[in-house]
Amino acid sequence: MRLFSKIFQIGLATEPLLPGGDDVVRLLHEVDGQARRLFGRALAIREVDAGSCNGCELEITGLMSPVYDSERFGVHFVASPRHADMLLVTGPVTRNMVVPLVKTYEATPAPKLVVAVGDCARTCGVFKGSYAVAGSVDQIIPVDAFVDGCPPEPADILRGILAAIGRR
Amino acid sequence: MIILLFFLMLAGYAFGAAGALLAPDGAAARRWAATGAVAGGGAGLALALTVFASGTPFLLEAPGLLSVADGLAFRLDALGAFFLALVGLVAIPCGIYGAGYSAAYEGRYSLRFLGAMLNLFLLAMSLVPCAGNVLTFLLMWEGMSLTSYFLVMTETDEPDTVLAGGWYLAMTHGGLALVLAAFLLLAAGASTTAFGDLRTAAAALSPATRNAVFCLALLGFGSKAGIIPLHVWLPRAHPAAPSHVSALMSGVMIKLGVYGLLRVGLDLLGGGPAWWGALLIGLGALSAVLGVLYALMENDLKRLLAYSSVENMGLIFIGVGAGFLFLSLGAASAAVLALGAGLYHALNHAAFKGLLFLGAGSVLHATHTRDMNRLGGLIRRLPWTAFCFLTGSLAIAGLPPLNGFVSEWLLFQSLLPGIGSSAPLVAPLMTLAVGILALTGGLAAAGFVKAFGITFLAMPRSDAAEAAHEAPRSMRVGMGILAVACAGLGLAAVPILAALGAVLAGHAGLPAAAPQLGGGLLLSTPGGFARMSPTLVALGLVVVIAGVWLGVRILGAGRWLRVGETWGCGRGVQTARMEYTSTAFAEPLRRVFAELYRPTQDLSIDFHPESRYFVQSIEYRSEVVPWFERYLYAPVIAWVNLWAIRVRAIQSGSAHVYLTYLVIALLGLLAILLVRGA
Repeated sequence: MRLFSKIFQIGLATEPLLPGGDDVVRLLHEVDGQARRLFGRALAIREVDAGSCNGCELEITGLMSPVYDSERFGVHFVASPRHADMLLVTGPVTRNMVVPLVKTYEATPAPKLVVAVGDCARTCGVFKGSYAVAGSVDQIIPVDAFVDGCPPEPADILRGILAAIGRR
Repeated sequence: MIILLFFLMLAGYAFGAAGALLAPDGAAARRWAATGAVAGGGAGLALALTVFASGTPFLLEAPGLLSVADGLAFRLDALGAFFLALVGLVAIPCGIYGAGYSAAYEGRYSLRFLGAMLNLFLLAMSLVPCAGNVLTFLLMWEGMSLTSYFLVMTETDEPDTVLAGGWYLAMTHGGLALVLAAFLLLAAGASTTAFGDLRTAAAALSPATRNAVFCLALLGFGSKAGIIPLHVWLPRAHPAAPSHVSALMSGVMIKLGVYGLLRVGLDLLGGGPAWWGALLIGLGALSAVLGVLYALMENDLKRLLAYSSVENMGLIFIGVGAGFLFLSLGAASAAVLALGAGLYHALNHAAFKGLLFLGAGSVLHATHTRDMNRLGGLIRRLPWTAFCFLTGSLAIAGLPPLNGFVSEWLLFQSLLPGIGSSAPLVAPLMTLAVGILALTGGLAAAGFVKAFGITFLAMPRSDAAEAAHEAPRSMRVGMGILAVACAGLGLAAVPILAALGAVLAGHAGLPAAAPQLGGGLLLSTPGGFARMSPTLVALGLVVVIAGVWLGVRILGAGRWLRVGETWGCGRGVQTARMEYTSTAFAEPLRRVFAELYRPTQDLSIDFHPESRYFVQSIEYRSEVVPWFERYLYAPVIAWVNLWAIRVRAIQSGSAHVYLTYLVIALLGLLAILLVRGA
């Protein structure tokens, strides 16, 4: 009963989409269509933080937020690489994360795609040369597409995903 | 011919016992014990089958022996023959298994005594269903209890064993006292104590006496059968006994409690009012659901199996109770189906629980531990044992095509017609029983996923499990026989059910000609309510599995197969500490049934003095509330102890005082005689 009264008291709490939001929706539709073409079903993504500052994670989380809500287009994040079609790798690969990243890549069933998200994933960014960094993502596992930006916006990430799918 | 088989059975066990006792060394004693068990068990099985085939009971009377109470008399009818066959079926594999298993006792315990007691135990168990009068029955019953007590006490240097033995002795003798009281009430109006005369006399008893006899018999035999709340000795005594003895006790001995109940309730009393059946169903349902719930919480493999026995005895009691209920309602064919389902489940339980205890024995033999949290990975080290244990687990979980599936299906089918009954309260009771049956089946499956998975799969959790070795051949043969029996009893359901109809025919107003429970390959309930063919189900499964396998081979799907490491969240190395433990596997159910378990948790962590991020040791202990021990038995034990201490005051140790007691007692008796004589 408290739940219902709360619903009535608060009313609609959603905000209108920001300008440019339609673009994201169009991209999401496109990702959905391409994923269906390639996998015959929705796209399942496993996110791997290989040593990022979590800036990229914030933006990736944005994809799942009520504003973009990628899940409604079948783009969803899963809890195990065993369920995933695509790995979304962020950050420079630290020495501690080399083995887990390789193991995750091996555990993902083929056909699989890898998208390296953020500048660090391509160039190691400000962490380049650190004793703790093993290298960029493509030095550790094969990468299908890079997403530039520090951090990249959700729309950029979607474009990167599309680019990876489009390569197949 | 038939009497020859009887004496062959006696001789087999007797020579086995004598040979083991007089054997020059332990190895010879083991061989004698096994030979005796196989010979006696085989002859007993043949005797039982002969009685089935001929349809006439086997009779042998020796009134001269122990003539004070009508002497010894043996009468083996179809009902007894069924239970004798059950003894023989489990005795043979357990005897063979024991020869290898007890080798580990060499030098620690007396193998001569163990072998002799095993054979005497089997002899007493075989003679209980052969008994033809009260004296013979009680003698054999007590012999069975005492020999099994000595067998439980084999590993006497373990403190747990002594405690288990104490519980067992107290419960079994309490039960004996109640059984004795039931027979005394029954025999009050009879000319002799032969079962035939008791049956005639029972018809003339007042309803109150009949009820009293039934209740006493239910409590007495129920304590042997391990029915809740009289089950407390079971999870103690079964783990303490050597594993082939556990298999015999759990597979056969507790079934004889059902035999006693059927003999008194169905045969001698000839059934009774509807509430007898309802009481049996209620106790059975309670035992089934609580038994399986406690089994789920166990980390000790043999204790888990013991609690699962409580559950299965509950299922058997539900079937038997439904039989009594239908009998009182005049639905004879439904009663035959329900009783038949109960008895068939008893037979099946003997096969798969025997098998599971033997499998647990192999695990114990190989690793010297019963704690599942220290096992794991045994499927690679003990492939035979793992396969046999898996067969038993599938059977007890009620999966087709094995025997457990068929008997649980029959139990359901025997209860379902009761839901449509017009008699008051029968429909809700049956609905409840069906629900409990379904819940129990699901929980039992979960329990045996745990028992098999934690013990045999994944990586070994201790050095002992790491270094485990396969069981010797005699033990593998023993398990193999019972594994084959699990499959065979399921496939041969139709002829077995027909034979069970003959077992029950003529008892207590059941029609002399049993209702048709199927023919050919098809099992069908009276009135065509349900039909099922275990053979065709098995055939279908084989076809489907073979088809999938062949399809995969032909299509070459194996080409895409990539063998990789188990996903362990990307950690560098995987250790056994990352695995599910037995406790963890049962955790969801512990939470669901928290109201019953009331788990107490005790977690103590030792941190590294430098940083809390480094843990030096973790200790986790969780216990569930033992309701019956704490709230039912503890007060009784406290009361007995209190009175024992008070009574000790008159036991001063001085001979003079004792002489005074004698004089006072004598004078008292004389005074009573004087008063009564006057």
